[in-house]
Amino acid sequence: MSEAVQYFQFVLAPQMLIGLVLGVAVILVALGLTIIFGLLDVINMSHGEFYALGAFFALALAQIGLPFWLLLLLVPLLMLPVGYIVERALIQRVFHSGDRHVRTLLLTFGLGLVMEDSYRLVFGPNPYRPETPITGGVEIFDIFLPSYRLFLIIVGAAIIAAVAFIVYRTRLGAMVRAAAFDRDMAASLGVPVQHVYAGAFAFGVALAGLAGVLLAPIYSVFPTMGRDFILMAFTVVIVGGMGSIAGVVVAGLLLSQIQAIVALYISPVWSDPVVFGIMVVMLMVRPQGLFGRLGHG
Amino acid sequence: MLEIRNLQTHYGHSHIIQGIDLSVGAGEVFGIFGRNGVGKTTLLKTIAGWVKPTDGVITFDGHRIDSQAAHRIAQHGIGFVPEDRRIFPGLSVEENLTLGYLQAPGRSRADNRAALAKVYERFPRLAERRRQFGTTLSGGEQQMLAMARVMIGEPKLLLIDEPSEGLAPMIVADLYAIITSLREAGCTILLVEQNLGEALKFCDRFIAMERGCVVLSGNAASQADRDALIARVAV
Repeated sequence: MSEAVQYFQFVLAPQMLIGLVLGVAVILVALGLTIIFGLLDVINMSHGEFYALGAFFALALAQIGLPFWLLLLLVPLLMLPVGYIVERALIQRVFHSGDRHVRTLLLTFGLGLVMEDSYRLVFGPNPYRPETPITGGVEIFDIFLPSYRLFLIIVGAAIIAAVAFIVYRTRLGAMVRAAAFDRDMAASLGVPVQHVYAGAFAFGVALAGLAGVLLAPIYSVFPTMGRDFILMAFTVVIVGGMGSIAGVVVAGLLLSQIQAIVALYISPVWSDPVVFGIMVVMLMVRPQGLFGRLGHG
Repeated sequence: MLEIRNLQTHYGHSHIIQGIDLSVGAGEVFGIFGRNGVGKTTLLKTIAGWVKPTDGVITFDGHRIDSQAAHRIAQHGIGFVPEDRRIFPGLSVEENLTLGYLQAPGRSRADNRAALAKVYERFPRLAERRRQFGTTLSGGEQQMLAMARVMIGEPKLLLIDEPSEGLAPMIVADLYAIITSLREAGCTILLVEQNLGEALKFCDRFIAMERGCVVLSGNAASQADRDALIARVAV
């Protein structure tokens, strides 16, 4: 019996905690992606680069002496106008064309390439490791967890709850959902649909930026950092249901645990193929994902 | 109140509205009749801003609205109840209703609440089901919700497309009682309806459309005009 407890305490539980931290990180990146997809019907291929932009903003602002805690507020605020302008100046221009999906996908893919190369030009190709704002660790049921990772889990949960509250419990959220389901009818009730679309895109981009600030101390900051998370974030969005916030949370936690368990019992090499295999199976048997969609743009 | 001059609307290469002139006075109930596919719904959608006209002028209360966004047109006081009701899935009855506040952006919170209370008083079934998703209501209740969420903005002009379609006669009677009360309150109504017999009881004037043009206009009080309309439109 004590062997089983020890096995859980020293092998399984730490691995599951690693999975939980990764899950929260992926959810933070995927939240903005799913909101943009659910509302605008736009697959934002540059989402990873917006995540990186948040991290680079934080890096640059930290170098002029701003504290990490202020950056948590300031960077998303800076990202809001960036997202708003990108939506109005670029995405709106191709949004109403017949082949919207292809055009917006290619547009955001190209934008991502430009952004990634810009980071390389400005900051160079090497990774930066920002200082961890909370050092040390805590023991939970005799399992050691670095304090910053515990902070990330708590803040991540708070962000998820706040986003769900805004989308599902406020008049603003009702406007967003109405515009997602039926833009014409929403407009005829006075909803300024184009501003709502741009605002929702900006909100998604700001969430990506916030994820960049929060994850930079763990995963470092470098020009291609967006690529590391974006594949997993897309997988989570597809498995959870494109546009569903609950779907992102459940799929994010589930898939990251599966990754952790596969890494433990089979091999770390197999953790990504298994997760992407689940995505393929999901697309074949239940293309709407676990929870369906927010709207249809 | 509403003036339309030489209105032209296309869907791609299809020429749907082919030069309509129309003048609707304040407080009138104006009927638009015609067989399926003659452009009645497109006319309402063009006025509401869902479809942009390719030519012509629409003015409402002295404002030119043909190039304005649909939300601006709504904020001028034009409410639209479309044929298929378009209740938002995933939104509760109350969320569907309170979205209607945005039609009157300058109104105070207290006035918004008063407008909601008034709507609930007029539609007690909606008050009972305020927490339910709008799409779980029956067809008749959904039609009431579609009317109520527009009425909450207290529009000056209401565009109503086929309100009685698919509804039981008792519900149709309730619906027309609401339209009558709106008219008594001074609301101007542009009504598209297949059910001629019912609609003519409430209209002051009407037009009949064919192939995107007005082919007949008349006064609902005149038996001769009514006979001409029925001869032209009734299948």
